[in-house]
Amino acid sequence: MAHQQQGMDSALFERRLRPVYDNLEVGNNRKALQESEKLLRKHPNLLCARALKGLSLLRLGRYEESHSCLQTVAEEKPVDDSTLQVLSFCYREMEQLDKIVELYQHAVKLNPGNEELLAHLFVSHVRVEDYKAQQAVALQLYKAQPKNAYYFWSVISVVFQGIRGPESCIPEKRKLYLALAQRMVDKHIKEGKLETEQEAFLYLHILKLQNKYQEAWDFLTGELCAKLYPGAPVSMKFELLKELGNWLELNKLLQQLLEADRDRWDYYKEYLESCFELLKQQPAEQDQPIFTLNTCLDFLLHIIESSTRKTRGPYLARLELHQRMRAKQLPAQELIGDFDELIIEYFNLFGDKSCCTHDIALFLPSISMEQRQSLANKLLQESGISSNSLPQNKEHMQKHICALQISRMCGAHIELAIEHLLALYTALKLHYEHGHSSFGKQLLSTEMGPSDPYALLAANVMYDISMREHKSDQLFEALCLLQYVLRNSTSNFHIKLLSLKIYHMFGCMVGAQEMYDYLDIKQIQLDSMGYVHCNLLPLSGRFSGVRNCYDTTLKFFTNSYKERLEYIALTYRFCTFSKMEEFMNFKERLTNSLLYVACSVEAQLCDLVSCYGNIQQNLSAYVAMSIEPAEDRISWHELSDNRDLQAIIRWDPLHLDNTEAERKESYEQEIEVLQLRSLLLRLFASFIDLYHPPPSEKLAMSNNKTTTLAPGEDVATLELLRTSWTGLYQRLRLMNYKPLSQRFLVNLQPTRLHLLLEIPYERFFDDLAQLVLDLYSGASQLALQCKQVSENVAAVMELCVQTITESNEWNGMDGLWKRREHQQKVAACLEILSLYAFLLSVLNDKLQCSAKTKTKKKGSADNKSQEPISEKERSQMLQELIRQLKHKLEACDAAIRIWKPPTLPRDLSSFMADMSLKPEVEATLIGDVSATFKESHELMVTELRNLLKDKLRMIGK
Amino acid sequence: MTTLRPFTCDDLFKFNNVNFDPLTETYGLSFYTQYLAKWPEYFQLAESPSEHIMGYIMGKVEGHMDNWHGHVTALTVSPDYRRLGLAALLMSFLEDISEKKRAYFVDLFVRKSNKVAINMYTNLGYIIYRTILEYYSGDQDEDAYDMRKALSRDVNKKSVIPYTQPVRLEDIDMN
Repeated sequence: MAHQQQGMDSALFERRLRPVYDNLEVGNNRKALQESEKLLRKHPNLLCARALKGLSLLRLGRYEESHSCLQTVAEEKPVDDSTLQVLSFCYREMEQLDKIVELYQHAVKLNPGNEELLAHLFVSHVRVEDYKAQQAVALQLYKAQPKNAYYFWSVISVVFQGIRGPESCIPEKRKLYLALAQRMVDKHIKEGKLETEQEAFLYLHILKLQNKYQEAWDFLTGELCAKLYPGAPVSMKFELLKELGNWLELNKLLQQLLEADRDRWDYYKEYLESCFELLKQQPAEQDQPIFTLNTCLDFLLHIIESSTRKTRGPYLARLELHQRMRAKQLPAQELIGDFDELIIEYFNLFGDKSCCTHDIALFLPSISMEQRQSLANKLLQESGISSNSLPQNKEHMQKHICALQISRMCGAHIELAIEHLLALYTALKLHYEHGHSSFGKQLLSTEMGPSDPYALLAANVMYDISMREHKSDQLFEALCLLQYVLRNSTSNFHIKLLSLKIYHMFGCMVGAQEMYDYLDIKQIQLDSMGYVHCNLLPLSGRFSGVRNCYDTTLKFFTNSYKERLEYIALTYRFCTFSKMEEFMNFKERLTNSLLYVACSVEAQLCDLVSCYGNIQQNLSAYVAMSIEPAEDRISWHELSDNRDLQAIIRWDPLHLDNTEAERKESYEQEIEVLQLRSLLLRLFASFIDLYHPPPSEKLAMSNNKTTTLAPGEDVATLELLRTSWTGLYQRLRLMNYKPLSQRFLVNLQPTRLHLLLEIPYERFFDDLAQLVLDLYSGASQLALQCKQVSENVAAVMELCVQTITESNEWNGMDGLWKRREHQQKVAACLEILSLYAFLLSVLNDKLQCSAKTKTKKKGSADNKSQEPISEKERSQMLQELIRQLKHKLEACDAAIRIWKPPTLPRDLSSFMADMSLKPEVEATLIGDVSATFKESHELMVTELRNLLKDKLRMIGK
Repeated sequence: MTTLRPFTCDDLFKFNNVNFDPLTETYGLSFYTQYLAKWPEYFQLAESPSEHIMGYIMGKVEGHMDNWHGHVTALTVSPDYRRLGLAALLMSFLEDISEKKRAYFVDLFVRKSNKVAINMYTNLGYIIYRTILEYYSGDQDEDAYDMRKALSRDVNKKSVIPYTQPVRLEDIDMN
C-alpha cells in the first residue's frame, strides 16, 4: 500500500518532505523530528517520512527509538530510492553495513534487473569487501545493461578474490581466479570491446600478477594498447624488461630516453642497473668482453659534454656509478677518477642550490669516517669562507651553508670541545645576521630568508652543548635566536618546527601551542604531524587546556572514518582500477592510525579527570562515552605508524642518525603506552560499571528478569582487567625499555612509558580494584584495604608536593632543565587523584542510596559464611576515605599555589649583544619569550588549581 | 635530478615538507581522493634521489568539443628544490598527457599578485587569456588570471585569443 501511495504523487510528497531534509541538513534535528511527525500524522504510511524520523532520532542520540523506527521501515522492504537512501545513510552512520546489503537485496528481488538498485547493491558489497558477491551483482548489472564498466567491475571482483579475498592465501585458488579474470578480458578483447586505458591497465595488471611478462610486453607494445593507453607510464616497460631479463633492450631504451630527458634520476638508476647486469652476462670464455663499464661512463660523459644547460643528472649518475663500482670492488678510481675530486667538482657546479647537501649526502655512507672528515674540510675550504671573510653574494653564501651542513653530517661537530662549539655558534649567528642584512631584506612574506639555514644549524649546535653540559642555558638562547629569525622570516616552517620542539622540551605549553597554530597544521597533516604536538600533550601539565587540540585531531579522524568507504566506491564509479588497492590500503592505514586510537583514549581519560558537574551529570557524561570495559576495541595488529619523520630537517652525523631505527623503537614504546592507557581506562570503567551498570545491561536485565547473574559474574570483568593490569606492568618491567636517545635536537621526544612506570599507577589501581571489590561484597578485610588505599593516596600526594618542592629548588640552579619532567609528574599525580575522586563520588552516591533502600533485603542474605560488613559501616568507611582525600587534595593545592614560574637562564639582556639588533628589538624579543614562559606557568597553575577545586566540590557536600 | 611518478595515497602522509609552504594549500581528503580516483594520471609527483618529495602537480582533463582541455589545479615545489626547473618539468608532463588525450589546450588560474608564477608560466608559453574577478576569496578577495597554452590539436590557436573584458566566475562555463 505504501508503494502505491508513493507512486500517486511523488512530486507532492517530495515537496512535503523537503522541510525535514532541510532541517536535517542544517543540523536542526529536533525540528526535523517534529516535521516528520507532523507529516506522519497525515500520511502514516509514508515510508520515507518514517525513515527520516528514524534519522532525526538517531541524530538526537535517541538510539533505541531510532532503531525500532528504522527496523519497521526496513521490514516493509522499501524499493523507492529516497527511502533506501535515507536508510542506508542511517546504517552507514551506525556502521551496520551488512544491513545496507540486505536492504538492497530485498529491493532488487522485487525489481529484478533495475540498474540503479543493482548498482547500489554492488556498492554495498564494496563497503563490506565481499568480492564474490560483487562479482555476481556486476554480472547481473552487465546483463541488465551491457556497459563495459559493469563487465570490468566483475573482472576486478574476480581479481580481488584471487589476491585479497579469503581464498587468496591458497595458491591454486589464486591461480584459478586470475586465470578466469584473464579469460574474461581476453574474450572482451577478441570481441573488440576494450575501450579505456584503465581497462588496458587492468589487463596488464592481471598478466603481471600471473607472471606472464612476455604476454604483458606484447600487449603493452601492441597496437591496441598504444591506441587505448597512450599515457602508459614508461616505467611499466622497465619493469617488464627487467622481469624478462632483457637488459640490452632496457639499456638501449634508457639511452634514448636519457638523450631526451637528461635530468631523470629514475632513468639513470635503471640505466646503471642495466649496465651492471650486462656486465654480469659476459660469457666467461670470450676474451673480448661485449660490454664494459667504459661504455656506461662514455655515455654519461657524452651527456655532460653535449648539454648546453648544466643539469645535476649526469653528474650524480657518475657519482652513483663510482659508488656502485666500489661496492663491487671494481676499479672505480681508475675508470672515473678520484671520488673527492668528483664531489668537489659537483660542489663547485651546484653548491649554490639548496638541494646540493641532500645530493652529496647520498654518497657519504659509502666512504670511511676519515674520508668523510677530510672531504668535509676540503668542501669548507672550497667554499672560500674563512674566519675573516664573508660571502660576497647569495650564491656564495649558499655554498658556504652547504659545506657547513655536510661537515656536520660528516661528524665534524661531535668531536669539537665546548668552547669550539660556542665559537662555531657565534660564527653561525654572525653569518645569519650578515646574510640577513645583505641578501635577505627584500623578501616576500612567503619566502624563507636565504641565511636562515645558519640559524637552524646554530640551534642544533646549541642543543649539542646543552646536552653535554646538562644545562638549559644554551638551548634557551637558541630558542630566542629562532624566535628572532622567525620575525624576519615568517614563513620558515623549519624554524617553527624547531621552536615547537624546544618549547615542549621546556614544558612551555603556551609557546608550543603558538608555534603549532603558526604552522597551520590541518586535515591529514593532523595525523602525519600529530607527533610534534598533539601526541605530547597528555600529562604535560594541562588537562582541559589541551582538549581542544585532541578535538580538532579527532574531528579529522572521525570524518575520514565516515567517508573512508565512499573513497573506494568512487574508484569503482570512475573505474579507476589502478587505484583500487591503493585506496583500500590507504583506508586501513588511516583508520588504524596509532595517533587516532591514542588520541581517543587520551581524550576520554582527560574527560574523566576533568569532569566537574554533579554526580548525575558526571555519570551521564561517563555513560555517553560508552567505554564497555569488557571489550578491547583496539585492533592491535593493524595499528599504523603514519608519522612523517622527514618533515623536520636535520644534518646530524650520518653514522649516528638512523631515523628508521628511531621510528621503530619509539613506535614500540608508543604502543606500550597505549596499552597502559587504554587498560587504565577500561579498568577504571569497570569500577564504575560495577556500581552503576550501563543502560544496555540494565535493559537486558529488566527484559529478562529470570536470568540473574551467576555468582562472581558481576565482578568477572573487573577481576580480569585487574589481572591484565598487573600482568602488563610486570611484562613492561621485564622488557626494560631504554628511554629514546636524546642526543640530537631532532630526535623524537621521549615517550611517556618511563613516566608511567615510575609513578605508582600500578599499585594504586591494583589496590583500588581490591577496595572496590571488598566494598561491593562487604568483605571483612575492607578496613585493611581502606587503609592500604589511604596510604597510596598519601604517597601520591607526597610525590606531588615533593616534585613541586624539587621544581622550586631547581629554579635556583636551572629553571628549565627538569621543567617538563616535573610538570609531567605533577600531572600524573593529579590524574590519579582526580580519577579516584570521581570514583569515590560514585561509590558514595550508590552507598547512600542503597543504605536507605536495601537494608531489609540484605538482612536475610546468606548467613552460612561470615556476615558481610553492613552497608552502614561501609558507608562510614567511605566517608573516612573521602575525608582523607579532601585533606590530601588541599595539600596538593597548597603546594601548587607556591609553585614558582621557571627562572630563565642567566642575564637575558646581554645574550644577543653580538647581534646587530636594535636595543628595542632585543628588548621586546626577550620580553616576549619570557612572557610566554610566565604565562604558560600561570595558566597551568590556574588550571590545576581549578581542577582540584572541582574535585573538592565533587566529593564535598 | 628527478624521479617522476604517479602521486599515491601514501604520499599524503609524506608531503608536509612541500605543504608547509605558505602558498600551498592542504585540502580535505575528499579533494585529493576525487582527483586520484578520477584523473589518476594527472596527479604526478617529483621525488629527489634521496627520496624526498620535491613537488607535485595536480590536474584534470574536462570540457566539451573544442573546449576539451587539460587544467592545472595545483602546482607546488618545495622551497629546498626551487630554481631547478622542476615546475617546468611537471608542467611539460601535464601538457604531454593532455596532448595524448587529444586536448585542445591547457589552462590554469593564478593570483594576479603572484608575479613569480605568472612570469614562469609566461616563459613556458602561457598567455593571459582573461581576468576572473574576485576568484580567490579571503580577507581581501583577489582576481585571478586565467592563463592558457594551445596544444597541437588546436591548429588555428583559436583557444588562445584573449578576452579583453574581465569576467566573473559565475559567468563562465567551466566546461
